[in-house]
Amino acid sequence: MVRSFLIKKEVDIYYNYFFVAMFFIDIYRAFKFAWQSFWRNFWLSIVTITIISLALISVSLLLSFNLITANVLDIVQARTEIYIDLTDQAKTAQIDFLVNELNRVPDIKEVVYVTPDQTLERFKATYQDNELVIQSLESLGTNPFTGSLRIKVQEIDQFPVLLEEISKPEYSEILEIDNAEFYQARDLITSISSYSDKIEGFGFGISIFFILISVIVVFNTIQMGIYSHREEIGIMKLVGASNWFVRAPFLIEGVLYSVVAILIVLILFYPIAALIQPHLDNFLGEYTLDLVQSINQNIWLVLALEIGIAMFITVVSSFLATRRYLKV
Amino acid sequence: MISIKKITKKYGSDYYALKDVSLDIQSGEFVSLVGQSGTGKTTLVKLIIAEEKPTSGRIIIGGWDITKIESYEIPYLRRQIGVVFQDFKLLPKMTVYENVAFALQTCGAKKRKITDTVPQVLKIVGLDNKMDRYPHQLSGGEQQRVVIARSLVHRPKLLIADEPTGNLDSINTKEIIDLLLKINEIGTTVLLVTHNREVVNNLKKRVITIDNGEIVSDQERGRYLL
Ligand SMILES: Nc1ncnc2c1ncn2[C@@H]1O[C@H](COP(=O)(O)OP(=O)(O)O)[C@@H](O)[C@H]1O
Ligand SMILES: [Mg+2]
Repeated sequence: MVRSFLIKKEVDIYYNYFFVAMFFIDIYRAFKFAWQSFWRNFWLSIVTITIISLALISVSLLLSFNLITANVLDIVQARTEIYIDLTDQAKTAQIDFLVNELNRVPDIKEVVYVTPDQTLERFKATYQDNELVIQSLESLGTNPFTGSLRIKVQEIDQFPVLLEEISKPEYSEILEIDNAEFYQARDLITSISSYSDKIEGFGFGISIFFILISVIVVFNTIQMGIYSHREEIGIMKLVGASNWFVRAPFLIEGVLYSVVAILIVLILFYPIAALIQPHLDNFLGEYTLDLVQSINQNIWLVLALEIGIAMFITVVSSFLATRRYLKV
Repeated sequence: MISIKKITKKYGSDYYALKDVSLDIQSGEFVSLVGQSGTGKTTLVKLIIAEEKPTSGRIIIGGWDITKIESYEIPYLRRQIGVVFQDFKLLPKMTVYENVAFALQTCGAKKRKITDTVPQVLKIVGLDNKMDRYPHQLSGGEQQRVVIARSLVHRPKLLIADEPTGNLDSINTKEIIDLLLKINEIGTTVLLVTHNREVVNNLKKRVITIDNGEIVSDQERGRYLL
């Protein structure tokens, strides 16, 4: 009754077939294992979770900063509207012609003629709380304003095109051009962009740094876990546990760390935002942004980013650690 | 069952643990592999279970050429070979039952299969009455029998025992050897690695002697030569 040895292909169809199902059944075992390792090396676990949290916080700050600058730029960008005064000599026919001409320039979105009366109304509305201005205006008895053109461009970068267009000599007698207003807006944008590029670069560097440190720390933690389970692992491999089966508990341990870190960061986020908000309001003035609200608006992006980064850290490091030390 | 063809295993650039070793073992045989310490016996075992790869030569097991086995295939090989190493101990925090069940759990066996198999293999090694004991509550011989039970859970066609009696006194040694003979009788090929002269001489089975990484004799009903 000598049994002959099975050959490879007949082997373990049973195991292969049920592998996926069994993996999920045994996820309980892997969780139990991860839970035990967590408590066994309590301080190491705390350090690991802290460092992942720091990486996530730096990434979150980078994201918040991005949202803030995008917001400021949006506000400035939206001011792509400018008033150009007409001279007293401008005749209705000339004005109509000019409006038509400018409307034909592709970068210009809209040109509207604003009558002196409309300008007066707008002025009064702007200074309605300033009695001195209103009084001195009324004391004049006449409307001191000339007509003007309200011009909108598609993008703030296109102001120079507009400037060139209206600087043509044929318009010089009907337009009073004051360049200052154009350039103010444009300079503001340029300086915001360059500052934010620098700060973003810095934030990016910090984030990468923390992510790398996290990978190293998690790698080290998993490696210690493997070391303290080396006998068990040796037996598992000897009796033919599949490579994923040996690995899964360590991968799940890593995932557990990142889940805890994500929770910590999410819990910390709202108090931190509340702490920063007044400073932000002070600093940005009219350009400020409600942090909590804008994070809430982008909550899926935020979650995806946090989970993505955390998973990246733990999966990469536990994958490397298990590959290196389990020789699978 | 096992067909080893001109196997050489080098460690480092110039240390030969095995040199040009060839041997065949048929299904159902009981073979003793003897030789002094450091002559390459364990290396040969490790090659058979694909823990090491040969430098040159071929290893075919049950018709399966494992010379260039892929790492994901190794578990399937291991489930067909029961291995007992002197230094692969039991897990101290698990009972006898749990230690044996562990081998099935880690291969993803279903609960039903575990509850069926574990008592069966513990019965084969005569420990079905001590399933709830912890390893420290057992004698050395009993512990080794649990290890053997664990190696049987996949119903291997081949059992390799590398110095299974190394730490045991002569009474426990006899028990273990009798157990291996019993396992051989129910149809399992057994490869016993030992340097216990008395054991080998009493067995009166095939003996392969290895020295300095080379086979120096291979005899049916052999004796311990060195
Ligand atoms: N991983 C290794 N690296 C280098 N040398 C090794 C390694 N494993 C075994 N050896 C050497 O190979 C020789 C044979 O070892 P081994 O097969 O364990 O002998 P045995 O089991 O017959 O006592 C020994 O000299 C040992 O030092
Ligand atoms: Mg040895």
